[in-house]
This record gives sequence, C-alpha cells and structure tokens, in this order.
Amino acid sequence: MNTQNQNGYMLLFRGNDWLKNLSSEEKQKVTDQWMAWFRRLTNEGKAIAGNPLEREGKIVSGKNRVVSDGPFAESKEAIGGYFLLDVANFDDAVAIARECPGLPYGVQVEVRPVAAECPVASELKQKAQFANA
Amino acid sequence: MLLYRSDEWYNKLSHAELQKLMNQNKAWIESLTAQGKAKPGRALERRGAIVSGNNGRFVIDGPFAESKEAIGGYLVLDVETMDEAISIAQSSPGLSYGGSIEVRPVADECPLDVRERELAREEQLATV
Repeated sequence: MNTQNQNGYMLLFRGNDWLKNLSSEEKQKVTDQWMAWFRRLTNEGKAIAGNPLEREGKIVSGKNRVVSDGPFAESKEAIGGYFLLDVANFDDAVAIARECPGLPYGVQVEVRPVAAECPVASELKQKAQFANA
Repeated sequence: MLLYRSDEWYNKLSHAELQKLMNQNKAWIESLTAQGKAKPGRALERRGAIVSGNNGRFVIDGPFAESKEAIGGYLVLDVETMDEAISIAQSSPGLSYGGSIEVRPVADECPLDVRERELAREEQLATV
C-alpha cells in the first residue's frame, strides 16, 4: 500500500453492541480513556476533528430516494464515531488506531486514507487521458 | 452527518454521464455550502485497513472497492432537524445511479457518557 498521504486519514469506529455488556465502572473507565486519548491526539496536532454519532439514523437509497431505518443500535458494523487524523503516513494512522480504548471490548477501527479529490473525478481524468491517447 | 455508502458504481458510467453527474454534484455541494448547510466533506480512498482485537493485534487490509456497504465519503451538515438532513440526502445527485446515504445525528456528547449515567441511575434506584 502507498504509505504517504498528505490529506490525512479517517478512523471509523465500528460496533455499537459492545457497550451493553459493560458494568457502569467499566464504561466510565473506557469513556475517560477515550476522551483522554482524543485530547492527547488533539494536543499533539494529530487529530483535527472527531465526533461521536447518535445510535440512530436513517438510510436514503436508490433512484426513488426511499428512506428506511437502519440498524444502528445493536449492530457490530454500525459506525459509532470518527476521528480525522492529520498524519502523513498509513503506519502512523494504524499505530494510532491500535491505541483505541474500545479494542479490548470488540470495537473495530477502520483506517481510511482521505482522497485528494473525489475518486469520481480521478476516474474521469483517467478516462479523458485514455480518450486523448 | 451524511455517510455515502456504495461500491464503485461510477466505473460503469460513460464519460459523458460521469461528467454530467460531477457537474450536478459540484453545483449541489456549492449550493449547500453557500446556504451554510454543509461543511467541507471529504472522499475516502478505496483502500485502508481494519484494526481489531486487544491492543489492535489484528490489522487486516479491507476490501472497500466492491462492497456496496463501503463508505466512500462523508459530508457534515449544519442543519437543525433530522427531516432537513434527510431531504438534503434525498437531493443528492449520485443516488440515481445506486448506492445509499446514511444520515446520522452527531451526538452532543459521547453515548458512552449517556449510557454510564443511565446505569449509575439504575444502580442508585436499586439501592433505594
């Protein structure tokens, strides 16, 4: 994998079902750890944004713009929040992901490079290049 | 927050279709931004990894290109109601070609905190 990316990385925290198995003390502990982690990354200039998402929402799909309820509360795959990281390479982003306090409880962290431009735009440029070749 | 979920459906479009869609998309985002309803969104590369397990000991390269569920990008909206966020999602030009948009309220505070308070309250009630 190309390891340099000046547009930063996004961490997507997946899994919303792990919370219900924790005691009140454990939850408080993970919450404190998570907040301290985000504060540290922000102070170090490595995190530039981050938000938790509510355990609810809707899915809009298809030509007819159908609105449906998504399973957000109890899903293993559902996204519970994100961090936007300002680090220059993939290994740094993965190293930060590995510090996530939710990992021991089953949270999965998706690490994705942010694109310089919309991938549809790069696709279009490639097509134009072929057409001109 | 709008999360765009789709596979690489845009590979199936002709050059002209793609160009048309991109112009529509650009105009759509510009109009939302001008109205103060959208903050800058980002697209994500179709590659990456999933970190899981204690101390993040599993690092798996994720297949993000083919999955219809994969997240291709996001847009943070500055609107007051879920209904308005949904109607903005419905006006997204890309939906005509496939994929879906997940509309999620950004939490005021971490749901962990909220849940912790609930549990503390339950425990308090139990001891009364």
